[in-house]
Amino acid sequence: MTVESSRRLPVLLLSLVGGVLLVALLAAVMIGPVDLRPSAVFLEIFDHLPLVDVDSGLDARQAAIVWELRLPRAVLGALVGATLAVAGAAYQGVFRNPLADPYLLGVAAGAGLGATIAIVAVGSGSVLVPIAAFVGAVLAVVATYGLGSAGGGRRTGTTLILAGVAVAAFLTAAQTFVQQRHAETIREVYAWILGRLGTTGWGDVALMAPYAAISIVVIVLHRRLLDVLAVGEDEARTLGVRPERVRTAVVIAATLGTAGAVAASGLIGFVGIVVPHTIRLLVGSSYRAIVPMTVLGGAAFLVLADLVARTALSPSEIPIGVVTAFVGGPFFVVILRTSRRGAQ
Amino acid sequence: MRKLVGLTLALTLLVAACGDDDQMVSSSTPPDAGPFPVTVRGTEIPDLPQRIVSLSATHTEVLYEIGSGPEIIGTDVFSDYPAAANEMEKIDAFNLSVEAVAALDPDLVILSFDPGDAVSGLAALGIPAVLFAAPGPPTLEDVYSEWRDLGTATGHNDEVAALIEQVSSDIAAILAQKPETVRAFTYFLELDSTLFTAGTGTLLDSVFGLLGLQNIADPADGPFPQLSPEYVIGADPDFVFLADTVCCGESAVTVAVRPGWNQMTAVINGDVIELDDSVASRWGPRLVDLVLTISKEVYGVG
Amino acid sequence: MIETQGVVVRYNGRAAVDGVTLSVAPGEWVGLIGPNGAGKSSLLGAISGTVTHDGVVRIAGRPATELGRRAAARAIAVVPQNPVLPEDMDVIDYVLLGRTPHLGYLAAETDADVAVTEAALWDLGIIHLADRPLGSLSGGERQRCVLARALAQEAPVLLLDEPTSALDIGHRQQVLDLVADLRRTRSLAVLAAMHDLTLAAQYADRLALMIDGRITIEGAAGEVLTESTIAAFSGARVSVIKGPDGQIVVVPKRR
Repeated sequence: MTVESSRRLPVLLLSLVGGVLLVALLAAVMIGPVDLRPSAVFLEIFDHLPLVDVDSGLDARQAAIVWELRLPRAVLGALVGATLAVAGAAYQGVFRNPLADPYLLGVAAGAGLGATIAIVAVGSGSVLVPIAAFVGAVLAVVATYGLGSAGGGRRTGTTLILAGVAVAAFLTAAQTFVQQRHAETIREVYAWILGRLGTTGWGDVALMAPYAAISIVVIVLHRRLLDVLAVGEDEARTLGVRPERVRTAVVIAATLGTAGAVAASGLIGFVGIVVPHTIRLLVGSSYRAIVPMTVLGGAAFLVLADLVARTALSPSEIPIGVVTAFVGGPFFVVILRTSRRGAQ
Repeated sequence: MRKLVGLTLALTLLVAACGDDDQMVSSSTPPDAGPFPVTVRGTEIPDLPQRIVSLSATHTEVLYEIGSGPEIIGTDVFSDYPAAANEMEKIDAFNLSVEAVAALDPDLVILSFDPGDAVSGLAALGIPAVLFAAPGPPTLEDVYSEWRDLGTATGHNDEVAALIEQVSSDIAAILAQKPETVRAFTYFLELDSTLFTAGTGTLLDSVFGLLGLQNIADPADGPFPQLSPEYVIGADPDFVFLADTVCCGESAVTVAVRPGWNQMTAVINGDVIELDDSVASRWGPRLVDLVLTISKEVYGVG
Repeated sequence: MIETQGVVVRYNGRAAVDGVTLSVAPGEWVGLIGPNGAGKSSLLGAISGTVTHDGVVRIAGRPATELGRRAAARAIAVVPQNPVLPEDMDVIDYVLLGRTPHLGYLAAETDADVAVTEAALWDLGIIHLADRPLGSLSGGERQRCVLARALAQEAPVLLLDEPTSALDIGHRQQVLDLVADLRRTRSLAVLAAMHDLTLAAQYADRLALMIDGRITIEGAAGEVLTESTIAAFSGARVSVIKGPDGQIVVVPKRR
C-alpha cells in the first residue's frame, strides 16, 4: 500500500489557484473607471509582444491607460500580494504562530517611520519616500535581531517576537510624534499607511521584481524545513536541522520581500494572514503544499482587492488597505467558526 | 529686616509688571466699532479686543487687511502672510495648548480647528474664542459672511464692508471679461500627489465654477475625493491645476513623467498650471489673486 | 558507541547532571532509572546535543562536538518525553520527518525515503493511520508515531525518554519487543529512561541508577534493584522477587 505524503504537490489545486490568478489579471486589465472594449484591450496588449503588430483601435490615451496604468498596476499587485502572503506563511511556520504576519518583527513600524520622515522632509511625491520606507523596514528588523540576542542566551523564536513588539512600539511612537509635529502632512502620511497601488508604472514593477523574486524563491525552497520546524526547536535539532539558521534565512528573505512591497505600495494589511490561512483550509498544514499555493493565492487576492478598490466607488478610489481590512475582519469570524467546529 | 526688603522688592516688581501691560495696550478705539458686547458665532465678546491671537492662516490675512494688525499679538505657525504676521508669537494650532495661548493674555482668539477642548478651555479662563470650523465656506457669499463676523468681533465693521465691496467688484470685473467659449473647459485640481481633489461643495469648486470651468471630479462623492489616475487620464481635462507645489514638490515637469500622463491634452499643450498652495487653500483677500491667475491662464484675460 | 565523561549540566547554577560517566556499546540496552528530577532527561539532552553541557560526549569514538548537526542526527535518534505533535500534520508526513538528517539542506525526500518511512509504520503497526492527522489519534497511537519517526531515522543510537508511558500493557510490550529486536538486528545502542522498574529489568542489559545528577549504582538488574535501594530513592515499599524465568520482578507492597 503506497501512501500519499505531502511531498507531492496538489497539482489540481495549484492549477485551480493559478487559473484564478489568470482570470484576476485579465479582469484587472479589462475593467476600470474608463470604459474600454475588452477585445481592444486584448489587442493592445498583444501589440506589445515582440514581432507582433496589430492595431487595437485605441487612441494614444486609451492605449496608455492599458499599458502604462492597468497592466503594470495589475502586475505590481500580483507581486506584492504574492510576496506579502508567502512572507506571512513563512513567519507562521518559523515562529509556529498562526497570527504571525509579515510585519511581525517591526517592519511596518520601521517603514512607517521612514516614510513619515521622508514625507515631512521632502513631500509625498518624492522618490525618497519609498527608499526611506525600505531602509526603515530593514533597520527595524536589524534592531529586532540585535535586541533579541542582547539578553544573552539563545535567540529563540519567542525572544525575537518579543523584541519585535518592543521595536515596533518604539518606532510607532516615534512615527506618531513626527507626524504630530507636522500635522499638516497627516493626510499624506495616512494615505501612505493605508497602502495604495495607485500611481505605479513599469518603473515601480521593475524595482519591486528582484525583491519579490528573491523572497519568493528562497521561501519556496525552504518549505520542507518549515515543516521540520513544526515539531519545535529542540526536536528539530535532534533531526539535524539548525533552527536559527533556517529562521535567519527565512527572515532575511521575507524581510527583503516585505520591505520591497512596503516601499512600492505602503502598508497593506491582512494579506499575510488571510491568504495563508485560507490556503491551509484547502490543503492542510504542510508547508510543502501551503507555500507554493500561497504565492499564487496571494497574487490573485491582491489583484482582485485592487480591482474592487479601483471600481467600487468609481471615479474615487478606496485605499487598498481598507479593502483588505474589510475582507480580513469577517474572514477571522469564518476561521474561528471552522476551528471551533474542528475542535468539537 | 531683610525679609521686609525682599517683600517690598517683590511687590514693586509685581506692580511694575502689571503696569507694563497697561502701557502696551493701544488705547485707540476704531470709529466704526459697534456697541460691545457682541456675540459672534455663539461666542460673546465683552469688550473691544485689544490683544488678538489668530490661529488660522486665512483669518490672519483678513485681520491684517481690515486694520486689526496692531491688535494682533500672536499667530499660528502657518500664518505667514502678510510678512508682519511672522513677527508675532507663534503657536502650534494643531497641537494646541490652551495654557500657552492663555499665557499671552489675549482677549480674543480666532480658531479654525478645535481639538475638542480649546474653545471651552479658553472660555473657562474667560477668554472669548471664535471658531470658524471646517469645512470652510462653500461659496463666496459664505466667505464674505465670515469676514463680516471678523469685522464685528474686532470692531472694524466699516473696513470689512469696504474690503468686501472691493473684492467682490474686483472679482466681478474679472468674471465680466470671461469670453464665450464653444463649450465649458474642464479642469482637474490636484491637492496632493495621491490625486486628492476638491469636489462639489468646496469653495474651490465654486470659484472655478464661477469662471465657467467644469470639474472632472463632479461625479465623485464628497468634498475631497481621491481620484484614480486612470480616471483623470480618461477624463482628459483641458487644464490641470497643481495646488501641491509646495507641500509635495509637484510641478509641470514631475506631472509629465507620471505613467500615462504624457498622453494628456493638458500636458501636451503645456496647460498644467502651478498654483501656490497657500493661495489656493485660503479664502482671504488674496482670493482675487487666485481668480485672476485662473482667468489669465485659462482665458488669457483678467 | 556512546561514551560520556564527566558530563555536567547546569540550570541557574544548580547542577542537574553532576559529572556522569557512562557508556553504551552497540547492541547494548542500558536502562536509566531514578526518581523524578534526578536529571535523566537532562543527561539524554546533553548526549543528543540539545542541552548545553560541560564534559565530553563521544559517539563512535569521536567527540560529539566534532560532528556537524546532521551527522550527529544521523547517529542519534531521540524519542522525547513530551514530543511536539502538530495537530494537523498527517502521520505519514510526521514520520517522514525522521528522514531529515539524510537529506541535503534544501533537498526533497525521495521514494527510498518514503519506503523507509512506510517500513517504520508497518513495524509499529500504524500503517493504517498513515493519512490521519496526529490530532485525531489516541495517546498510544501518537507515542508509536514518535517511535516510528525515530526508527525512520535509521540511527545506530536510540535515546528514549519514558517511551511507553502512554501505552496500554499490550502495546507497551509490543514496542519494547520491537526495540529489543531492532537493537539486536541493527546493533543499536539503546539508552532508555524508564519508570517501570520491572520492565527496565526485563529489557535492559544493564541498569544505571541516577540520583541528584549522579550515577550511584550501575550493573545488572539483580545488583541494582534491591528493596532497600528502591526504598531509598523512591520512598516506595516493594518486594523484589524472581519471576518464573528468573527475571527480576518489582512488586509494590501495600501496608
